[in-house]
Formats: sequence, structure tokens, C-alpha cells
Amino acid sequence: MILDLHSHSVRSDDGRAQVENYCQWVRKRALPIDGFVLTEHRQFDFESDYAALAREHGLTILKASEVETDYGHVLVFGVTPALLSAFDFASIRLPLVQVLEEAERHGAVAVPCHPGRTRVGMCAHVVERGPVAGVRIVEVYNGGSRGSEDDEARALAERFGYHGTGGSDAHIVSHIGRCATRFPAAVRSEAELAEALRAGEFEAVSWKSKS
Amino acid sequence: MTVQRFEDVEFGAELPAFAPDTSLANVRRFARAAEMMAGRFIDHEQARKEGLPGALVPGVMSQGILAAMIHRWAPGAEIVKIDTVFRAPVLVDAPHTVSGVVTDLDAESRSAEIDLTITNAAGETRVLGTARVRLP
Amino acid sequence: MEIEELKQCFLNLDFDERRFEVKQDAMLEFAAACGESAPRYTDAAHPEFQAPPTFCARFHGRRMLPSDFPEIGIPLDAGKCVMPQRPVRAGAKLVGKSHLHDVYEKTGRTGRMIFLVSRMELYDESRTLVSIVDSRLVIRERPAE
Repeated sequence: MILDLHSHSVRSDDGRAQVENYCQWVRKRALPIDGFVLTEHRQFDFESDYAALAREHGLTILKASEVETDYGHVLVFGVTPALLSAFDFASIRLPLVQVLEEAERHGAVAVPCHPGRTRVGMCAHVVERGPVAGVRIVEVYNGGSRGSEDDEARALAERFGYHGTGGSDAHIVSHIGRCATRFPAAVRSEAELAEALRAGEFEAVSWKSKS
Repeated sequence: MTVQRFEDVEFGAELPAFAPDTSLANVRRFARAAEMMAGRFIDHEQARKEGLPGALVPGVMSQGILAAMIHRWAPGAEIVKIDTVFRAPVLVDAPHTVSGVVTDLDAESRSAEIDLTITNAAGETRVLGTARVRLP
Repeated sequence: MEIEELKQCFLNLDFDERRFEVKQDAMLEFAAACGESAPRYTDAAHPEFQAPPTFCARFHGRRMLPSDFPEIGIPLDAGKCVMPQRPVRAGAKLVGKSHLHDVYEKTGRTGRMIFLVSRMELYDESRTLVSIVDSRLVIRERPAE
């Protein structure tokens, strides 16, 4: 199963895509993904229910978050109400250590994203301050990466033995599915996604030039 | 290829891309028309003094260029909303490409949703956004 | 000042009103510089001659922000959303009323950024709304020395 693990809808401040339009785009363009995960900035969107859309288009649509830490941005998969109370998702000054610990405590998975990106990626912070214990996965393919940012992300993963995910980081409809993550088995819920990530059996894929 | 009516538009259609005129002379022309004569737009040296890599194409101009692309594709299109995010500077005297693609069609309102991007020579997105247009 | 404090003090309060006159030459030059090709924007003799739909985004009030807004840095243009309501003709006299529509913060490649969305509603002489322009301004926090 292939899921785009990083995308934004109009719920994110800089997102301009309606979720229904993502679905239409995936199907009408026959993109090689089975679904996508909405990782809205600095929030978890409990309100929206995409079950009907998912059924209508035969896609898996899951929800997660992108939070901001002292080591850059981090995707959080498997968000629960309890986790949402554990730290302030809207803060731009979260300690990565805290996000990792709380995610683990609540059965969620925290994945530093676009690590090769200046300031908002982990690589530069690791150079300055060293790695952070508890990181097991980083995003190695990001659809919005510039230049050598993805190369740096992969180098980081290789150096520290991190698993790597892929996601488009789409903010507009036509950018969905540029990068994704391939899982060996079906993933149908946020909990199953967190479990699959913990299992470590997945592979990042990129079609950046083909979307 | 231009479209005249809603029925001519296909989902996923790519608008004809074009290379906008981001020369200093043209940006100055725009800046005079828009009364935006700040140094960062009309003078590379002034822009560098402000810590910028060079003179910038004003965001309003970038948005105007995207609207012009829509009208080149569909001369009768009425823009109902155009929403642009300026993610990174569009530099004066640097080549850029403007592109758009139809991502939604609504027969009831005879409107189309279009993804808009301005990318630099390295393929990096500098401006992205969406527009909703009504067609005859 | 923290973001929540800024919101409480400044959101949704009109802070500026300014009059504008839409000049034919400016309309034509704006259209030409942007690469417009549709005759209703490029030909003053066209029966439907009007300003390009994003023309109103060039209007700004006497102030970008409320007069007592704390000086936290120089705002840069981070985005514009224009919702044209009616064609804007040469010679039109408009009134633009501005208010602060949203405030939020995030981090980017250049560090911490504060975003301010200022909305201008433009009315013609018959007090008909002709355009709504949201300007998203970003103030980048200077890195510590």
C-alpha cells in the first residue's frame, strides 16, 4: 500500500487544497498512491470527517499533524486527544525531546520532516547540537524540497540508521503524490499507520519529476 | 490552446505556460503603475543593502502575471478569486516559468479551479496559489 | 507581545480608510507589465475596458497596520488574495477600509515568522463593494547575535 504521508489542506494556514479535490486529482490522474495523510500545521483536525470521501473515491485518507520544534518541523502520526493535551501543538518552540517522548507515551510516532531544509529541518541542528535520542524515522523524500535537501536527508538517515518516509508536502492539489511511502500491508487507520511506522517495514518513494 | 467556454475545459488541462517579463525595466514599469517605487523592487543595489539577494518582483506583480496567464488561456474567464502564497522571492532579471493546471470543474456555476505556480530556473516553487474562474 | 495578546488588542477593528482614484494610464501600464492580453484590460477603447482583476491589490492604506501596533519588524509581502466583486472602471473613485483579519506565527527557513492578514474592502461611490483584498504580511524575527 502506498500513502503520501505529508500533505496540507485549506485547514493549514498556507494550504490551498480542498480534500475532495485531492481525491479527484489522485483518481483522474491515476496517481500510483492508495491514499494520503493530511498533516496540518500546528494542529490536529478532529473536526473533519473524510470517511465518506474516502469511500466515494476508494482512497485511504488519514489525519496527522506537522508541529514545530527546536530541531525543525516534525510530523506526528497517531494523534489522540490525550496526546493533544500533552503538549501545545500550536507552539513553535516545542522541544523535540518532549514531542518524541510524549508521542511514544501515547502510542504515536514522531517523524522529523524535510530534515535537509534550512532551519526547519533537523540536519543543521544535528550539526550544531548533535542527534536526539528517540528519533527512529525521518522524512527522506519531500515533494517541496529544493536542491540537495533530500540528499542531505538521506545522508542523515544513513548516518544514524533512521528509517525513511516520503511525502509530497502538497499545499495545492496538483502537488499531491509527488513522494510517498510504500507499506507491505494495508493501512486503514491512524492507529494502523502508527503501528506500521513502528514496525519499520516501509520504503520511501519519489516521482517528483512525474507528477 | 485557448478555451472560450466552460465546455471547452478539461479536468487536468494545463494552461499554456509562459515566461513572464521579469526584467528590471518591466518591473520598474509595473512599479510606476502601481506606485510601488520602493528600492527593493527597482534597484538591485538598494535591495542588497536591505539584505536581499537582488531586486524583487513585487508580489502584486506576480499575482497579476498569474491572472494574465489565465486570460491568455481563457480570454472570457472571469476571476472570482485568486489566492497566492509568496513562498520565496521572485528575483528581477532571473528567468521564471508561470504555469497552471485545472484541478476542479463545477458545471453548476460554470467555474474551474486552477492551481497556479511560478517556478525559477532550478524548478523551485516561488509562488503558489489557486484561482477560481467563471467561464462563459 | 505574544500572539494571543495581539489578537485580543487588534483583530477585526478598522484602522484605516483611504480614497483612491482609478487612473486609465495606471490600469493600462499595470496590464501591460503583467503580460495581459485580453482587450478589455489592454484597450481603453474596448466597451468593457476595466482594470485587471488583481489591480486593486496595489492599493494600500496610509498604514499597513494599526497605528499602535507594536514595532516588531519590517513586514514583507507573504501573499495576496483578491476577490473581485465588480469591474473597476477608469475614473472610479474608491474607498478602501482596512482591518486586521488574522495573526499567527510559524517557523520557516529564515526562522520565526509572525504573519498578519490585513483585509481591505473597497467600495465605489455608490458604496457598492467592488473588491476584497487580503494581504498576508510576514515579519521575520531577527536571529540572535
